[in-house]
Amino acid sequence: MRRLNSQTLILIGATLFVLYLAGVPLLMLLYGSIRSAPIGEPGATYTIQNYVKAYFDKEFYFLFLNSVYYALGTCVVTFLIGTFLAWVSERTNTPFKKLFVVMALIPFIIPGILSTISWILLLSPKIGLINLVIKNLLGLESAPFNIYTMWGMIWAESIHLYPLVFLLMSAAFRNMDTSLEEAALTAGSSTFTTFTRVTLPLMRPAMFSVLLVIFIRGIEAFEVPALIGVPAKISVFTTKIFLAIHQFPSDFGLAGAYAVTLLAISTTGVLIYGRITRREERYATVTGKGYRPRVIDLGGWKYVTCAIAFLIFLLAVIFPAFILLWSSFIPYYGVPSLELMGKMTWANFHYILNYPLALTAFKNSFYLSVGSATLVMLLTSIIAWITVKTKLPGRALLDNMTFIPIAMPGIVLGVSLIWVYLTLPIPIYGTIWVLLLAYITKFMPYGIRAASASMIQINKELEEASFTAGGTWFQTFRKVILPLLMPGFTAGWIYISIIALRELSTSILLYSYNSTVLSIMAFDLWEGGQYTYVCALGVLMVLLLLVMAFTARKLGAKIGIAE
Amino acid sequence: MAEKRDMVQIDSLEKYFGEDKERVHVLKGVSLNIPEGSLYTFLGPSGCGKTTTLRCVAGLERPDGGKINIGSQTVFASGERVYVPTNKRPIGMVFQSYAIWPHMTVAENVAYPLTIQRRPKTEIKQRVSDVLKIVGLDGLEDRPAPKLSGGQQQRVAFARALINEPKVMLLDEPLSNLDAKLRVQMRSEIKALQRRTNITTIFVTHDQAEALAISDQIAVMHGGKLIEIGSPHQLYSRPKRRFTATFLGLTNLIAGKVLEVDGDSRPGKMQTKKGILSFIPAPGLKKDQAAVISIRPENIPVHKEKPRSLDNVVEGTVKEAIFMGDAYHCKIAVGDDVLAVHTHPFHSISPGEKVYLHLDPKSCNGLPADDTEGIDESMLGD
Repeated sequence: MRRLNSQTLILIGATLFVLYLAGVPLLMLLYGSIRSAPIGEPGATYTIQNYVKAYFDKEFYFLFLNSVYYALGTCVVTFLIGTFLAWVSERTNTPFKKLFVVMALIPFIIPGILSTISWILLLSPKIGLINLVIKNLLGLESAPFNIYTMWGMIWAESIHLYPLVFLLMSAAFRNMDTSLEEAALTAGSSTFTTFTRVTLPLMRPAMFSVLLVIFIRGIEAFEVPALIGVPAKISVFTTKIFLAIHQFPSDFGLAGAYAVTLLAISTTGVLIYGRITRREERYATVTGKGYRPRVIDLGGWKYVTCAIAFLIFLLAVIFPAFILLWSSFIPYYGVPSLELMGKMTWANFHYILNYPLALTAFKNSFYLSVGSATLVMLLTSIIAWITVKTKLPGRALLDNMTFIPIAMPGIVLGVSLIWVYLTLPIPIYGTIWVLLLAYITKFMPYGIRAASASMIQINKELEEASFTAGGTWFQTFRKVILPLLMPGFTAGWIYISIIALRELSTSILLYSYNSTVLSIMAFDLWEGGQYTYVCALGVLMVLLLLVMAFTARKLGAKIGIAE
Repeated sequence: MAEKRDMVQIDSLEKYFGEDKERVHVLKGVSLNIPEGSLYTFLGPSGCGKTTTLRCVAGLERPDGGKINIGSQTVFASGERVYVPTNKRPIGMVFQSYAIWPHMTVAENVAYPLTIQRRPKTEIKQRVSDVLKIVGLDGLEDRPAPKLSGGQQQRVAFARALINEPKVMLLDEPLSNLDAKLRVQMRSEIKALQRRTNITTIFVTHDQAEALAISDQIAVMHGGKLIEIGSPHQLYSRPKRRFTATFLGLTNLIAGKVLEVDGDSRPGKMQTKKGILSFIPAPGLKKDQAAVISIRPENIPVHKEKPRSLDNVVEGTVKEAIFMGDAYHCKIAVGDDVLAVHTHPFHSISPGEKVYLHLDPKSCNGLPADDTEGIDESMLGD
């Protein structure tokens, strides 16, 4: 299909760029983990000391157990919450279920660092609002909850991650052929037997893949372990890597050894996930029709399910949002009271907006978020065209390369990129450009997913019509394919710009004073104990996210097909 | 008809699909010439290679061998490594799905071939309105493409293909997505449009009635090979190949062996189960060759009494006679075989009757029975 020079040039360029982004950090990480000293330092040799030091430290096994415990705990809690809400909204006649769909997704927009902070402010034994209220109400001596425990961490992580389970399980419930259940019912089995003998086995692959996704996300989580786990002295891999680099002097080799270990765990997870979903897709082609899900009449129980759902939203959405808003308007941190209410003020916002670094951080975050989202979507659109529309040899490999970074935890990517840009003679270390490259690498997998899905839906004749009308490949791509790709492009763009704006785990290893971003600023303010300022900053971040998502949607509709 | 220059020349085109073990040979040395200003149809069942040949002319597929000329320009030659990309070929194409870009208006769709050449705005506007008038869509310039009916979408596709005054128009089953009534209307419009513009047009279809109605010339294809080329009249009334006879319209086949043949202008004689029958032989038919006689149902007069002084009369029993309004469609058993016969509606006919069929030698086409040359059995399935 090689037609034109301009086309060949663009395709080769995009391919090489992907190979560079995905491949080089991986190689450098492996290389760095077997060097005795940071690259550039004279006298460095090959060594396995880093691994020896890591694996023969008995702390390593605590670390391993903690990480797994943490990830599994998160799996259990998110699965219970997410599946319950998905089931209620897809398969039952619970009142207000349409509202649940919206509310279940709200935690998506709140950056992880903010939701972590809000849970500290709610459940800390000393200043936690919920603890104080319950203590006062029941006259308790000590706080009933403590966020600075393993289960406290799991709770904070789960509230942040359950929307993912909700989305995936909703899709699974929706796509299930309910006539299979009806067949069981007509064959004489009871509702309960049908559920255990038919529904559950049918859902098993979907459930397993959801659990795996959450496990991977739990293993690579950074915000909660850093903000809660570090003060609580509960270490996991991600925080251990972070501390190895942030201690003085930094131990890059040790961080590398841990990072490779973490990478091995998450890669295994991703590979298993890939196998499962591929098989699932095979099943899906057999029964891939749009079924009308059978809605179960819960009778009086529907009020119970409704009440539980509202309780979940109270905990997951209302409480955290309230504490953030409240804290952003008060002059010093305190429990809500009439007295403090009288002192509500805009001072925190004034402070943030006049904070010298704030303007830089806002600018950097905005540029990085818009820039990485745009570049990722452009790049992955080209890659998706290659992998979907051409028969070029090696296209499957290219697809896989684009997907590799999904297995790279943010903190691992950070370590790898430190190695890359300390070694390669590309002078961007410590600048905003290294963050941009990091973000593009990290978000490429999300972009390729959105772009491929839309690309598949574009009839090949639509582009052929442009060729026969005399259009070059570039003209065709710009005037026909991109506009038709717009719905997927916009969806991917919004998602990437949102996760880019709240990115912390990679940035924290790569930023410098001039390339500070909002999440780093929030992290620093929090570390400095300036709770009310963090909350004001958080409110501004969420507002910025909402504005960006809204604008992107408007613009996308204008360029693409108006629906 | 005066001899015309060939606008498109296709010479021993070869094309494979797939890789390694799943490689399929889809074009097996297709050669044909398309006269300038003609409406030329590629006809055949699906999988016969007609669309692939068209896409090779368009440059959307790259052949594995052969040569293609458009006008005086060689656009593909495997030996000389010539391959002109689609966008540099002087063509206009209408796709099966019409491929109207949904994010553009009618005018933007039609103007596309000119806008990408950065022609002046006033010229574009003028030519768009001219071409929309030709296809009967004037006044719809600003209509968004998704708000068009099927017929209108097709006219837009035509306008877009016409606007750049191509040397060749390529139509890939353009009528298959329309309902039956519109299909008949659009096919006469396509013919009228082609006559008016006099642009050499290649029309791909699997619908034999459509091909007969619209074409100047038809190339019948099967299994990646060219079976026969001719005018609709020639192919229908004097097919040279068994496949052509059966694919175009309904026909009866009577198997036999050639007893006597003398050139292709004088009747020959064939031994069949129904006795010795006279027929008009296809070129190249030889003595003792296994052959079939093809005779169309509407060319068999039915007699209630045995006619005298006529050759090729066989006796049969009416099995079924269905009144269709314009004819009776009968099934008449002759020996072990059942012949389809269409009779005039004035003469009533009923099952069980004994009748005599006159297989007029002038209507009997003697064709080689063995027609597997050019037919790959593996491709008959799809």
